[in-house]
Amino acid sequence: MNKREVIYTVLNGQTPAYIPWSCGFTKEAKAKLEEHFKPLDLEEALQNHILKLGSDIGFFTDLGQEHVQDVFGVVWDRSIDKDIGNVSGCVLPEPTLGDYSFPDPLDQRFFADIPAKIERYGERFRVFQIGFSLYERAWTLRGMQNLLMDYYDHPDFVHGLLEAVADYNIAQIQEAMKYDIDAVYFGDDWGQQHGLQMGPRLWRQFIYPVLKRMYAVVHGAGKFVFIHSCGDVDELFDDLIGIGLNCFNPFQPEVMDVASLTERYRGRLTFHGGLSTQRTLPFGTVEDVRMETQRLLKMGAPGRYIFAPAHDVEGDVPLENMLAFIELLQNQPGFREQ
Amino acid sequence: MTILDDVRKSVIEGDLNATQDKVNQALADKISPESVLKEGLISAMSEVGRMFENGEFYVPEMLISARAMKGGLAILRPLLASANIKPIGKVIIGTVQGDLHDIGKNLVGMMLEGAGFEVIDLGVDVSPEKYVAAVLEHHPDLVCCSALLTTTMPRMKDIVQALRAASLREAVKVMIGGAPVTEQYAVETGADGFAPDAASAAQRARQLIQA
Repeated sequence: MNKREVIYTVLNGQTPAYIPWSCGFTKEAKAKLEEHFKPLDLEEALQNHILKLGSDIGFFTDLGQEHVQDVFGVVWDRSIDKDIGNVSGCVLPEPTLGDYSFPDPLDQRFFADIPAKIERYGERFRVFQIGFSLYERAWTLRGMQNLLMDYYDHPDFVHGLLEAVADYNIAQIQEAMKYDIDAVYFGDDWGQQHGLQMGPRLWRQFIYPVLKRMYAVVHGAGKFVFIHSCGDVDELFDDLIGIGLNCFNPFQPEVMDVASLTERYRGRLTFHGGLSTQRTLPFGTVEDVRMETQRLLKMGAPGRYIFAPAHDVEGDVPLENMLAFIELLQNQPGFREQ
Repeated sequence: MTILDDVRKSVIEGDLNATQDKVNQALADKISPESVLKEGLISAMSEVGRMFENGEFYVPEMLISARAMKGGLAILRPLLASANIKPIGKVIIGTVQGDLHDIGKNLVGMMLEGAGFEVIDLGVDVSPEKYVAAVLEHHPDLVCCSALLTTTMPRMKDIVQALRAASLREAVKVMIGGAPVTEQYAVETGADGFAPDAASAAQRARQLIQA
């Protein structure tokens, strides 16, 4: 059974021979691993089961002085956060789309490397990623505080903006479906450390109907829906499952009870993530990382679980702590016997 | 309903125009600016904080209420100054060096203002040296530090040490917060307090300056 088939086993609710994984790392963490594993290619060393296609955060034009501009016109300050950056300025200073026009969703840069990647890593589960897929795209254009107040001040504008983002995404999804992919992965953070940023009532009013429309396109093509949404969002799981969510990431143990949620949703939802990136990985010992990883592998053994740190591993995590979980994953008997 | 009840209600509902109308009406009715502030605006923001903690309000409701409160406060501020009514304390607040996340810090600032503090916002990516310079310039009662990232949390300890090195540590209280920050971490950094969210930050700040 190859990696792609193992993920299918998990998503279909069957018991896999071992727990599959797909772990992400920030640039700084990746540099430590590359140094350790050289001359081996990091992708080969990590043996991730999920092949990421498309571009999660999009493409950027370098503006100099550590600032870049995305295809939506949003300028990002990367002087500190080198991976994504922080929004600088405001593309939509007024609550109107006015003369603003969305970029071309079929920009070939989103699709150009798909055939080569599938050729090289064809045994992995293929996921087309759409980062900043709704609320985040809206707030990067309008400013987060502006958008959150627009829910009350200019609800029609918010509805229009979110639908326009969905139209853009759907055009891109339809193009991606022309390739042999398995799932679409929507990234959109709705949570805080405690509770939702916008609360469940506004989420259901503004976000839910648009998600429903996007997920339907994915399911209509017979593909799986994956999402990434940081923070304490588990109160939305029933709504999300109802509109076709198959797999949830990042499954942060600091904000939700991963063990009880795994039990509660077993048979209905697959979880991807779970290893503490706010506590254990940066501040724990190698033994702490081992114990938590073993606990997660045991928890996920019956199925519906894909292991990962609950966020791309940050640069403050010691190399030994990264190697501790990588070693345990790759030493699972079912994996070694493949 | 009294006019002060109306002020409270309009702030809680996040209605900026109604808040300003009601504040003006209260003043026209010869209610003292201090009463309008305390029994109207501050009382309303305390209720907003309670509703946030109870999961009745979320960030959007907090933002529009804070905006209404600020609108009312803008009318009262010159009157309070001429009546020599002081804020309950002065706070400097910022997101620590290496961290550009500001919405959590902004919410805490709004709730502190709504609790009657004068708030000086140093912005994001604030170095320990800038904190020290701001304490020397503004003489605050409380220094607030925010971080979203585990990679930037250690800067909080640097700020406490910088204040100590400048012989300013005894002059101010230090409160820290942000997603990965815990009470235990506050103890480890040498801060005086920790708040898990914007609503409790206002309560904790009041306790700290009274301690």
